[in-house]
Amino acid sequence: MNVLEIRNLTKKFGDFIAVDNMNLSVREGEIFGFLGANGAGKSTTINMISSLLRISKGEIQLLGRDIVKENKFAKMNIGIVPQDLAIYEEMSAYENVSFFAGLYGLRGSLLKERTEEALEFVGLGDKHKALPKSFSGGMKRRLNIACAIAHRPKLIIMDEPTVGIDPQSRNYILNSVKKLNQMGCSVIYTSHYMEEVEEICTRIAIVDHGKIIAEGTKEQLKSIITDTKETWIGVRNPERLDLDALKRISGVNSVRLEEQTVKIVSRGEINNLNWVIQQLIGDQVEISSVEEQAPNLETVFLTLTGRNLRD
Amino acid sequence: MNNMMWIVRRLLRTTFRKKSSWIVYFGLPVAAILLSMLIYGSASGGSLHVGVLNQDGGKTLTQDTIHFVEGLNNVKITMTDEASMNKDIASGKLDSGLIFEQGFADSVRDGEPARLRLVSAKGAEVTAYVKALLNGYLGNVAAIGQATKSDAEAFDAIYADYKQSSFKLESESLKDTAKYKDMTYQSIGFLLMFLLFSAVNMSELILKEREDRTFLRLLSSPLSARGFVLANVLVAFIIQVLQIVVTLLILKYAIGIDSGVPLRDLLGTLLLFSPVAISLGLLITAFSKNRRGASALQTLIITPTCLLAGCFFPAEIMPDTVQKISSFLPQHWLLDTITKLQDGQAIGSLGLNLAILIAFAAVFTLVAIYRFSRNNDVRQFI
Repeated sequence: MNVLEIRNLTKKFGDFIAVDNMNLSVREGEIFGFLGANGAGKSTTINMISSLLRISKGEIQLLGRDIVKENKFAKMNIGIVPQDLAIYEEMSAYENVSFFAGLYGLRGSLLKERTEEALEFVGLGDKHKALPKSFSGGMKRRLNIACAIAHRPKLIIMDEPTVGIDPQSRNYILNSVKKLNQMGCSVIYTSHYMEEVEEICTRIAIVDHGKIIAEGTKEQLKSIITDTKETWIGVRNPERLDLDALKRISGVNSVRLEEQTVKIVSRGEINNLNWVIQQLIGDQVEISSVEEQAPNLETVFLTLTGRNLRD
Repeated sequence: MNNMMWIVRRLLRTTFRKKSSWIVYFGLPVAAILLSMLIYGSASGGSLHVGVLNQDGGKTLTQDTIHFVEGLNNVKITMTDEASMNKDIASGKLDSGLIFEQGFADSVRDGEPARLRLVSAKGAEVTAYVKALLNGYLGNVAAIGQATKSDAEAFDAIYADYKQSSFKLESESLKDTAKYKDMTYQSIGFLLMFLLFSAVNMSELILKEREDRTFLRLLSSPLSARGFVLANVLVAFIIQVLQIVVTLLILKYAIGIDSGVPLRDLLGTLLLFSPVAISLGLLITAFSKNRRGASALQTLIITPTCLLAGCFFPAEIMPDTVQKISSFLPQHWLLDTITKLQDGQAIGSLGLNLAILIAFAAVFTLVAIYRFSRNNDVRQFI
């Protein structure tokens, strides 16, 4: 069964079409990765799912019920973890979770129980009396999650939940997402960190210019680009590189420089490594390493959108 | 409704948890009352200080007139010389100066009192009382002079008889209610300003939610945007009611100022101003992108309009043009209502004033709703 079903969804801001006739489904019990560069239409879609924006055209169904017609039902069953922290600094961790859970109708002992449960879940049980201003970035992110789960939603939307935090907190959050999923929650997960998406998502959709341009499991997405390969060449003096000359080499789809590594995506059937190296030597570039990369989501994204996820 | 009350509870709890809120919402209006007391309390003291300059020597009639003035209720006299008198009147130490010029006693004896001058820098407000009583006293003595013509012995005999004759006179000092009315007007003027500021401050909480992004989470919950705004309005109203009640109770019972208006009428009128203040707060919020913008608008709108409407000093002392402009300000209509109530008009007869206040609230609210509804942006609310 699909938890979420999006049909022909469109959102216009004046003449600008932010989401263009989008179709998408999220199945019950899956962690669904939603990838797109900045301005691709992800946040607009998420805002429409969470009823923060009006739909221009199309429909969204949650558990088979229209979210516009049955808005309260939809809101009761969705939990939002916004990218920006949405907590009250002047209220304790307990008060924050309890207040937001109260908006879903929880009261009395049930409210207390669910609040404590959510705080325990994100590892802040012993910090329940503390004010968020005394928390680290990671702890605030965890509190941000606790505020979204205390009412036990069926679908949790997490928008960049690990931005700007230390690796330990990041791992904690990723494990929490997996645990929530095991407890029966479906999750929509957006992130700029491709490795996170690869690690936890069961299915992924790539959105670009307001449209879904690819959708499937990691393996299905990678299979889309078996006709391309990526070569990483380490260089010691990147200032001597002539990227335009490299792009003109036969079979090269794209070239980008990341610190001291040139990343070249080429057509799979063409062996152009000799010409690439010849060009580099001609430009007096010192080569430190050459690696042929297996296809990954980063490559898939780059190939399909022509942009890096962090663009 | 439940969610709305949940928000109201949170807002009240977090607002009153801060000490600064207590100072802003209650401390400042009380400070304003004390300021009014300072202004009006010193403006009209209990006694009239009269400096007496005697250039007519020790003549009986002159001395008797001085004793007469000295014996008046609420008048204190100080014998002085010409230079000191002018200096003390200018500096405010003396309210007025009474100059008995040479020949005063003789002029009275001749039946035509002259050579007596009453001078003051404060005008008729302070001279009228002494002047009226002196006229009465000297009129009687002069009548003796006229009747006896140039017969000095007859004058002295009748005058001595007049001085010894006793008649019953009861005098009573009336309470100066004008002073209390002025204090009430001034205190309410300041209170209006604080009500407006507190309404905008409360509306700014909406902007704070927007800036802190908590509104995203709030609006993705079953709480509606309308419910969210109404909850903020309700909190602003509760705080305003508390501010008004506390101020009026302190004014009446702690300080003992009689406003000249029944407490119930005063309370009702001020409560009617509360929706005006709150709707103005919403209007400012609707036109502001952030709290900084709202603060700038708040300063730009509230302080000058309060000044023009007469919140800081009575509107009558302002030029006619300014008084006409103030008719377009809600504060003017509230202060006008209070003044008319103090003048003894019944609240039922002030329907037009009250209707104008309601109209201001309605127009502000409608414009704010229109402005909110034009937003198609998740950073906005409705």
